[in-house]
Amino acid sequence: MIKIFQRLGYQFKEYVLLVILVIVSLISISLSEKPQAKKLKALAIANFAVLSEITESVASIFSGDVSVEELKLENAKISLQLSKLKKVAAENEELRAMINMRDTSSSPLIPVRIVSKLITKIQGNFIVNRGSGSGLVKGMPVINHQGLVGLIMDVAEEYSVVRTLQNSSLNIAVTLQRSNVDGILSFDGRDLVIKNIPTTYDVKIGDRIETSDFSSLFPPSVPVGVVLKKETNELGLLHSLTVKPFADIEATNNLFVIGIVPSKQVNHLEMNLLKKP
Amino acid sequence: MSNYLKPILYFIPLLLIQLVVVPLISVFGTVPNVIFIMVIYYLLLGGQIYGMILGFLAGFFFDLFSGGVLGASMLSMTIASFIAGYFYNENRVDTNTASYFFLVILFIAEFINSLIYSFAGNFNPEVRFTSLLLEGALLPAIYTTIFGLGVVAFKMRKGKI
Repeated sequence: MIKIFQRLGYQFKEYVLLVILVIVSLISISLSEKPQAKKLKALAIANFAVLSEITESVASIFSGDVSVEELKLENAKISLQLSKLKKVAAENEELRAMINMRDTSSSPLIPVRIVSKLITKIQGNFIVNRGSGSGLVKGMPVINHQGLVGLIMDVAEEYSVVRTLQNSSLNIAVTLQRSNVDGILSFDGRDLVIKNIPTTYDVKIGDRIETSDFSSLFPPSVPVGVVLKKETNELGLLHSLTVKPFADIEATNNLFVIGIVPSKQVNHLEMNLLKKP
Repeated sequence: MSNYLKPILYFIPLLLIQLVVVPLISVFGTVPNVIFIMVIYYLLLGGQIYGMILGFLAGFFFDLFSGGVLGASMLSMTIASFIAGYFYNENRVDTNTASYFFLVILFIAEFINSLIYSFAGNFNPEVRFTSLLLEGALLPAIYTTIFGLGVVAFKMRKGKI
């Protein structure tokens, strides 16, 4: 009996090996969000990112102008302030009370540089050159001088992984600045979309989109993008909005982490929403 | 050095190129997969089983160092290498690696690799299937195949010398 199995195993060794490797891969996928796997990844990234950083600094030898980076930092701060001011101007007396809420424009901005990029249509990830040693914490929002870029997802001592807007696992509570319509922004593999907005709501092409007051994953009033396209579903009841992000995510190299540590309890709840269903 | 060990030597430099240099030449969010070009090349030299193991290990380290979903590349590269392994013929190694037939094999394998990677790494049910098929699989396959021209040209030239 054993000889028969041995002979079969030898005869179909490619298939046996394929099945074993596929099973190991599937187990790895199912365990990829577990703390042990995250630790392993953080350790690997921390070591590999040193090499990436050296390579990146060689690759960007002609773009290392410090004054440009300082201007970008200033621009990012002004961008946040401008967004806040625009909103305040448009709001009524009831909303003005919100000025006392968390003020993102005065939050510390931690400059970081991208050392490697994972560009795919599903998993947009960056590795940046600062980690827990610089005060970065999982869940901190990441912007560039144009607008929102993503969220810190994994942190090592010297490096962090940023999940970008172009990642199908990231869903963000956003609001349309002009009409205060709220929705959930997600990436559908091609575009950033906000689905299921009732057609009775006031939405126009070109409306500015920013993070919502309802999200504690992101601070309110961080600029995200503009409405590029509006499509109505077959029944004519709901809109699907295509959003053009302010930030040129693929071309960006310098980012800023907003040093906000969200409420632990709420953050825990929201980070759970990021996990796979 | 044995051909079987060469990919290990090339892996780290290629990984650095893939994650640091290649994003600089992305076209509409599509990048070529230089690591997989290496996997397919050595698969056609070493055979199906060798290629599967190489694809599995390359995928594992790529997932680990890139910050992506652990296991997604392992799965996609293993299956794509298994399929590409059917093109291996020890009597036609030169024909397979130093002719345009290499590009055909690379295109098919990379299409399968990207498609499986897109599905394995996606946890959002609202992502469009057409988007995964065209932009997630077809475009990277075309772009990778264009890069594979370099390997073929190099091998052809080496053959003439």
